[in-house]
Amino acid sequence: MNSFTNLSSSDQKLIDSYTEGTISSDDFAALESRLAEDADFRAAMRSYLALDDNLARLAESQAEENPWAEQGHQKSALKIWPIALAACVAFALGLALMNLRTTPEAPQEIAGIESKAEGFAVIKHLISAEWPEGKSFREGDALSAETLHLESGTASIQFFSGATMTIEGPTEISLISAWEATCREGSVRMLVPPAARGFKLHSPYTEIIDLGTEFGLQVRDGEGHVEVFDGEIALTHRDEDEKLLTKGGALRLAQDGPSSESTSGQIAYPDSNHLGSLTQRRLTSFQNWKTHRATLADDPRLLGYYTFEQEINVGLLPNLISPTDANSNGAIILAEPVDGRWPGLKPALEFRRPGARVRVNIPGKFPAFTFMAWVRVDSLSHQYSALFMGDGYEDGEPHWQIRNDGRLMLSIMVDQDKRHPYYPKKSRHHHIYLSPPVWDISQSGQWMHLASVYDPATELVSHFVDGAEVSTEKIEPVFMVKNLQIGNGEIGNWSQPFRTDPTFAIRNLNGRIDELAIFKTALAKEEIARIFEASQH
Amino acid sequence: MALYTRHEPDLRRFIRSLIPTATDTADVLQQTALVIWRKFDQYDPATPFMKWACVISRFEALAYRRKIARDRLVFREDILDLIGREGEEELELRSQEHAALEQCLKKLSEKQRHFLLHAYTPGVKTKDLAAAAGSTSAAFYMRLKRLRHQLQSCIEKKLTPS
Repeated sequence: MNSFTNLSSSDQKLIDSYTEGTISSDDFAALESRLAEDADFRAAMRSYLALDDNLARLAESQAEENPWAEQGHQKSALKIWPIALAACVAFALGLALMNLRTTPEAPQEIAGIESKAEGFAVIKHLISAEWPEGKSFREGDALSAETLHLESGTASIQFFSGATMTIEGPTEISLISAWEATCREGSVRMLVPPAARGFKLHSPYTEIIDLGTEFGLQVRDGEGHVEVFDGEIALTHRDEDEKLLTKGGALRLAQDGPSSESTSGQIAYPDSNHLGSLTQRRLTSFQNWKTHRATLADDPRLLGYYTFEQEINVGLLPNLISPTDANSNGAIILAEPVDGRWPGLKPALEFRRPGARVRVNIPGKFPAFTFMAWVRVDSLSHQYSALFMGDGYEDGEPHWQIRNDGRLMLSIMVDQDKRHPYYPKKSRHHHIYLSPPVWDISQSGQWMHLASVYDPATELVSHFVDGAEVSTEKIEPVFMVKNLQIGNGEIGNWSQPFRTDPTFAIRNLNGRIDELAIFKTALAKEEIARIFEASQH
Repeated sequence: MALYTRHEPDLRRFIRSLIPTATDTADVLQQTALVIWRKFDQYDPATPFMKWACVISRFEALAYRRKIARDRLVFREDILDLIGREGEEELELRSQEHAALEQCLKKLSEKQRHFLLHAYTPGVKTKDLAAAAGSTSAAFYMRLKRLRHQLQSCIEKKLTPS
């Protein structure tokens, strides 16, 4: 057995610094060459990582049984145990996958649009991509057997086989499977890792089988050019025999004649790195957002404006409103700093663990509410996933959350001491305003802008996704609340220590938030659309 | 998805061998779960589920590698490929090790077990723990290393037919 117990201390150090993320690039190169040359070393590393992972899982399950154990949370043991129990139950159920297991086999429709959870490829990056009228794609969209006409700009497509295709408009591509595609016209660069060896790309008169490589193909008016940047391809043009083409090789593929050798480097194939333009675009949108943030922070209608910046690494989430109010700054509990909408530039908080939350205090009485946030939902694991919640759900307090069928919901407690006028047995006197489903599993991991408005003046409650109104509902007189308040509240979870039923008690958002604004007035549709535009990444 | 649920720990350990940190492992595992869910109709029940799931997770690890390779250190694709292929042959061994671990943990003293699991608590920094325990980082690491070796030796003994 190739056990890690036999590792030399220098090898063990390499592995330790690698797993801790502190490894220098020299050591990393050394580690790679050790791994490449020595099968015993690879096996030893696998045995070490397996033990490491097993122990981490055990420790994690113990920590989650008592989520506040290390936070010095000031609650009596009596109040803690129901949630601790609930956390334990949820953990046992396999928290992260609850949703996957309970999602019906046929994905539900979202507001009349067919779910896109099917497919064998996804759009990885888009840069100034223009499509024919009526067509639009977003990064992360799933693709199945279909034809794409990219008019201009660049798109990169990741196949589930592992192959990546970068196309530059104008290009027409038909996707056939995770292993096959056709380019009728345009310019393509393929990056095919060893795992995707055998990926087939057709052009009108040629078939290319990729043997693990990077190559470019251009087709203009029937005439093709191909060039191998790295590795090897097998190519069959018209009725010719199969040819192997290796690094540096280039061929001209005549429409009505044979293939002939040509010189490499003459044709500009799409740039698979995009690095320059991507970075530039990210920096620009981040700068725009910072300008927007400065303007918004001065808005006197704000109750809370949380932007999840560097301070979250030390557990603080300042409220950016002016004048400042230290009470309303957020205290981060168990939520983890992760990449936000601008990876590397600005973090976000992830509320994946059952005890994860941010506590705030927002005192006062208000005439209306607008809640607005940039949210990335990974899965709707619980019946309700919290966005922003008043602690006890007392009179006039809001609950803003997402139901596990993907509907955005805003509810306000009307009278906590009375029973519901229509369902007295089921609940207290409040009302839930629901949007149509706005999320399904195909949107997992994508950022979206959510907003909900409670407006007693117009007697309307409205929900918005990415700046567009998705629903509006009249506030019935019996549910009208004019005296709104928050007091103690939570971002990304709900403190409700008296419930013992885990379906209700666990509401941590299985996802990320990287911006949250709460207003004491009802913002107009146009204003919500404008804020969405200005804060886009 | 019952199949998936049953094999999740195996799959997670497999992915862990390809990916530098535990957090990133969780991300890749989640991506893998999604793809498995999407493509489940393509799964041939005649082949072992883990074999199929490992192929998917290797693709996901590669995709992940490409995503972060620019700002962090991730193994070259050929090395990932090698580790992954060999790892697929060790799935049975891994789950035996996991079963043996539970028994071996019981053989440690209460204090040792506490120390070990505490050191692995998510979000806890070894440096802070060492400071809290009043020992130097180096001594702390040594103790941790000794316990890991002790556990592994116990595991290996259990798996070697006597």
